[in-house]
Amino acid sequence: MSSPIDIALVIIGEVLVSIGVFCGLVAAIGMLRFPNFFVRLHAATVGSIGGAFVPIIGAALIALGSDFLDYRWLFFGSLIVTAVMVMLVSPAGSHALARATHRAKVAPVEPKVADHLEEDEDKKKKEEGHDV
Amino acid sequence: MEAEIMTFIMIMLPIYAVSFALYIIRVLKGPTISDTVLAIDALSFETIAFMAVFAIFFKSLLLIPVAILLSVWTYALDVFVAKYLEKKEMGD
Repeated sequence: MSSPIDIALVIIGEVLVSIGVFCGLVAAIGMLRFPNFFVRLHAATVGSIGGAFVPIIGAALIALGSDFLDYRWLFFGSLIVTAVMVMLVSPAGSHALARATHRAKVAPVEPKVADHLEEDEDKKKKEEGHDV
Repeated sequence: MEAEIMTFIMIMLPIYAVSFALYIIRVLKGPTISDTVLAIDALSFETIAFMAVFAIFFKSLLLIPVAILLSVWTYALDVFVAKYLEKKEMGD
């Protein structure tokens, strides 16, 4: 028979996995419906932190609370390592991709109020032109 | 306890299937190369979460190192494509 703290861990983990699955579905719908690349970046962030980091933590708590697994501490530790890995890697990757896309002018920057990066690049280009 | 957890994970399976299908539509449609790479990115992180949940379902530890390696490969894909878009070369 499982102890009350195991049941509490499993319930918290199931709530976190449910939140993660909901965020994943919402991010997939947003990825399909949003108009251009720089708006889709928001859906990708929801899908990677809300849809991957949160359910992996939830899976770690479920594994910690379920006593039918053989190596449940090993499950817990490796799932925490996976979650930290995802949290470090996904913002760095999407930031690099967004910066490269902006500099290469592959996708239009469409709902635009102010674009300071573009202004700075224009200013730098103009100064270099005057120097030459 | 075990039966409830297995039932919960089986309920989550069709929702994961729907979001995989939506991401794959964006991967195939994506107008620019950045859209395709961003959708592959999100699809990989969704696959990592799927593997983490289903490692408990199959009671198998072998799925978790694969998930860690998949996250590192996703980062490598991002950095390679960003490098290509900025300098039009893949790095020497």
